[in-house]
Order: sequence, then structure tokens, then C-alpha cells
Amino acid sequence: MSHLKSRKLSLAKRGLSFEMFMWAFTRVTALAMYGFILLGVIGALIMGAQHHLTFVEVLRWALITNPGHVESTNLPEIAPWVSSFWRLIASGMLLTAGSHGVHGVIVILDDYLPKDNQRNWNRYLNMGIFALVALAGLYIIWTA
Amino acid sequence: MEVTFKIFRYNPEKDERGNYVTYKIDAHPNDRVLDVLEHIKGKEDGSLSFRRSCAHGICGSDAMRINGRNMLACKTLIRDVGDHITVEPLLGLKVAKDLIVDMEPFFENYRKMLPYLINDSPLPEDGKERLQSPEQRARFDETTKCILCAACTTACPSFWANDEYYGPAALMTAHRFIFDSRDEGAEARLEILSETNGAVRCHTAYNCTEACPRGIHITQAIGELKLAMVTGNID
Repeated sequence: MSHLKSRKLSLAKRGLSFEMFMWAFTRVTALAMYGFILLGVIGALIMGAQHHLTFVEVLRWALITNPGHVESTNLPEIAPWVSSFWRLIASGMLLTAGSHGVHGVIVILDDYLPKDNQRNWNRYLNMGIFALVALAGLYIIWTA
Repeated sequence: MEVTFKIFRYNPEKDERGNYVTYKIDAHPNDRVLDVLEHIKGKEDGSLSFRRSCAHGICGSDAMRINGRNMLACKTLIRDVGDHITVEPLLGLKVAKDLIVDMEPFFENYRKMLPYLINDSPLPEDGKERLQSPEQRARFDETTKCILCAACTTACPSFWANDEYYGPAALMTAHRFIFDSRDEGAEARLEILSETNGAVRCHTAYNCTEACPRGIHITQAIGELKLAMVTGNID
């Protein structure tokens, strides 16, 4: 009887458009970011982060934005972070967060751009900006 | 109780733009907004135009903005919206006259979803019915409740920004047939939904769910469609 058949459409049958691929990609990168954040927090705690940043320092960084504080903050030791492993993690975080965010911007702007050529420009422009930011970020991560 | 009705008026043959006209009406708290509109049309100003048909929340004709929210005038009691009531046409569709909007773009999107059962397979051997279990029927029960009033679509910020977006009501129609075990048109509908103006334009604002006078969990149903597009699972 027809109602007992499993109703699953194969990928070949339904196809996977760019839009739906990016929809799935955005969900996956959101999950990946949780993983990177968790890994970073655990790594920081293992390296003694709870002793490196007091509540007063958190307030100072959060509420009193002053470039001078970057120099005056007593960052005890960054050596543990300067390993290939942590650089890979930082690169992963940068790329997933950047691509996730830039796709969000493209999707929302697409709402207001009904024409195909406008939407193409929206993609090229935002992806170009993302590529520049990603390159600068990767340069800093791998040469610091 | 005296109720102040501020109603959007627009006559395309006379007005360059719409304006608001205020009516002070003696109404009972249990009167419906539709009752008062009919009173105004019958006793105060016969030129007031609005759609209504069944007047019992089934036909979906009298969806309008009442105090800024999309509602059916026939299901909204005066006591629930206060004694100062602003009535306006639905947003996102062109106003034809007063509270009447041009529904054609809405129904055009509806028709794109192939809103009919598609099944070219031969009938079962007993020749009568394509059987369906209660569970299979329940799978799409929610979206069969849609009355096409357009309250959801015209509450959607994505639709306001771009009326080429099919909108929540059209997506509900797609949901109703895609998850129907008797239907064989899921492939074609999922392809339509995967287009740029399809389901991805839904950003889960939840306005549609809040606006639906039938209480359909629209945003959840759209989520099910997106998942079906990615996984192919339409059980």
C-alpha cells in the first residue's frame, strides 16, 4: 500500500540549490562556533585564565574603552597560545564566524534587493570584504 | 460604551493619498469590530469599503490591521481592543479602496505552490481510496487550517521588503501537500521553495505565527519545510 512507503527524496531528485546549501552551512557554522568557543574557554582555563583576568579588569575592558589599556593590561604569558594547534583553532573561529556573519548580512540585504544583478553585487561586495578581513586576520594569527 | 473608531480611508478616484476619518460609535463590549464597521457603513457612511463574507472566521475575507495588529474583524471583540480603535488595511499589498487591498499578488504566490493533490499513480486495486493512517493525516493537519486571509503574509517583514517572496501563507500551502502521504508532487514543490524567493527568505521573525487567526504554528511549519529541503525527508 502506498501509505507504507518511506517518503524520502534523494538528493539527486530534489537537488540542493545554493540558497539551501548556505542555509544548512549557516546552521553548521553556528554549531562549529559553539565548539570553538568551548575549546577556547577550556584551553584558557587550563592555562590559568582565572588568575589572569580579575573582575575589575573585565569592567575596565568592557566599560572604559581606552587604547592605553591595551598596553597597560598585564598579559602574563601568551606563549601557550602560540602553537600551531591554537593558531588553527583561532583560524577556524575566524573563518566560521566571518562566513556565518557575512552570509547573514547577504541574506538580509537580499530582502531589499529584488533584482538579480543587485543581489549578485551584494554577494561580490560582502564576500570581497570578508576575504580581505579574513586575510588580515589570518596574517595576524599566524605571524604574531 | 462609546468607542472611537479611526478608520483609514482612501478613494483612488478622488484621493491622492489615504487619510484617517474618526467615528464615535455607541457599541457593546461584546460587539465585534466587524459589527461596528457594518454599523458605520449602514448608518453613518455608506461609502466605507471593506471585505466580509461569512463573518464567522472561516472565509478569511475581513483580515485587517486593528490597533496595529493583523486580525479578523469578525473574530475581534471591542472589549479586547479598547475604546480607541484604529482600523487600517493590511500592509504590503496595494490598497484598492479604504480597507480593501489587492490580493492578486498574494494569490499569485499561492498558485505557484501547486495547491492541489498531485498523484498520477494508478488507484489501489480496490479501486476506491488512497488509504492514509491517522498519523499520516495528523502530519499535515495543522496547515489544513489555513483560510488564506493573508494576515500572516502581510505581517511578515521579509514580505514587506520584497513582495516577490512567496510569503508564509503560500509556504503553508506547500507544507499541506508536501507532507500529505497521498501526494507525489513534493519534488516539484521543494524545487520551487528552494528558489531565492522561497523558504530561505523566512528569517523566523514569528510575526506570522502571532498574526494567524487560526493559531497555526507557521514558523515551525516553515522550519519543517527547510529541513525537508536539506534532508529530503518528507515523512
